[in-house]
Amino acid sequence: MARSWRDPSEQALARVLLAPAFALLALIVVYPVGRLLLTSLYDDSLTSGHAARFVGLENFQLVWEDPSFWSALINTLLIVLFTVPGAMVAGMLLALVANMPFRRKWPVRLALLIPWALPLAFVGLIAGWFFQSDYGIVNDVLRPFVSQKIIWFNSPTLSFAAMCMAIVWKTSSFVAMILLAGLQTIPADVYEAARVDGASKWQQFWQVTLPLLRPSIVVAAIFRTITALQTFDIPATMTRGGPGDATSTLAMYIHQTTVDFLDIGYGSALAVVMFAISMVVSTIYLRNLRTGN
Amino acid sequence: MKGAFLSPAAMRRLAALAVVINGLFPAVWILFTSLKTERELTQTPITWWPHAPTLENFAHAFADQPLALFVFNSVAVALLATGLTLSVATLAAYALARLEISYRNTALSVIVATSTFPLVTLLVPLFETMRAVGLLNSYAALVLPYTVLSLPVCTLVLVSFFESIPADLENAARCDGCTRLGAMWRILLPLATPGMFTAGILTFVNSWDEFLLALSFNSAPGLRTLPVGITLYQGEFTFPWPVISAALVVGIVPVALLIVIFQQRVLSGLTAGGLK
Repeated sequence: MARSWRDPSEQALARVLLAPAFALLALIVVYPVGRLLLTSLYDDSLTSGHAARFVGLENFQLVWEDPSFWSALINTLLIVLFTVPGAMVAGMLLALVANMPFRRKWPVRLALLIPWALPLAFVGLIAGWFFQSDYGIVNDVLRPFVSQKIIWFNSPTLSFAAMCMAIVWKTSSFVAMILLAGLQTIPADVYEAARVDGASKWQQFWQVTLPLLRPSIVVAAIFRTITALQTFDIPATMTRGGPGDATSTLAMYIHQTTVDFLDIGYGSALAVVMFAISMVVSTIYLRNLRTGN
Repeated sequence: MKGAFLSPAAMRRLAALAVVINGLFPAVWILFTSLKTERELTQTPITWWPHAPTLENFAHAFADQPLALFVFNSVAVALLATGLTLSVATLAAYALARLEISYRNTALSVIVATSTFPLVTLLVPLFETMRAVGLLNSYAALVLPYTVLSLPVCTLVLVSFFESIPADLENAARCDGCTRLGAMWRILLPLATPGMFTAGILTFVNSWDEFLLALSFNSAPGLRTLPVGITLYQGEFTFPWPVISAALVVGIVPVALLIVIFQQRVLSGLTAGGLK
């Protein structure tokens, strides 16, 4: 194989085989992102009747002064703050159980895969029914412990909390699968050695499992952060951003500006801000990946 | 664990039970809800097991909205996206796994990097472009982005699968007069069927689940996919929960069946894609 990398026919073949993938990436990712950066500099509203007009950074100035943007951004960051650690802890618990030596593995396996396979939009609807104030099962279970029924979706705080719980439930299974893959690479004799040294199960977890699992934890946490920044489906179907805009996210605001109001210029500026935030996270991810290899 | 009143094995079984209930209960509860009458649903305290199971809600679900059409659209879009993704990813993965190319790691990194791109930011320019070229409200408007969405994970799964298959068999076939691509088609791909299957299921589920682009690009009644269509049962202030639940059950069953049948394969594919 040593000589073949110079084989011109092999190089040409590689280019031909990779061409469709990179053509698609260019068409659906690179070109749109370039276009996005450009249109963010224009006053380009499809409902205004006039042609797009170059306005420089004016859209970003408007973003900076837009209270709806700040409220959506803060909600989005709060979702990251609550649901990323939430899904990591829940996912770790699920993964630890799934890694136990059971004779029949399929029940736990399905319990991880089904939440992963459910569409987020379905989870939003299901959670809306779970937290329904009169006939929802959450209030039914809580009834003995609270003096009066909780109306989840009338309160900004409770709506937000219910939404975060739905997000944590839905996303923890994917986290669990990444962590499970990591757990399965830890050789048994490491635990054997720790046991010989007199480490308890608890100490083994903190001193053996966690350090060896670090790469998987980092990958899962960053993936979860990137998806949390884009939160759309669950609030859109569960709370529709309400009450008021208590559960409205940046992605919902971008969608509303672009698709409902057809304000391409302003929507682009909002999207550029979102893009910049997630690029920071992805850069950390890719750097980690490289040092990991 | 000496002082514990439960044996370690019993504790393990209890933990497994908690995980199973956590994972499956919401879907089971929706199934129960879909079988109850409106009257039974508005009783307090609420009932758990349906007292008088009825299929009426399913009849309503299909009558109130074109649910069958939503399912058809979702299946069509997901299958087309799966076919296109597998074709493109297989070619790329073959090049990355079998050909000696100097930029292999760069190419792989670029493909992986796209998986971290926020879909929401692509929404604005894609919406504008699709609108300009008249592709809004078409299958293509979703199939193309869904292909890109699943391309990274499919490529990773296939590269690691191809690399696990010894190249000797293909080399032998080439000695017998097969071309490179002939050897790939006749030798490698049949051996890689499990990997192709895994990548295909991942793409299918990703496409089946997608909501934001489907909501934004295909809003015409005839082209709505299931996650979008299923939000239409609710009015501004009315939530016909039994009918919504029935529609949800219709939406959950096909993918749940796929998952039950191919669970091991799906799990291994997900973990291979996640770890890279």
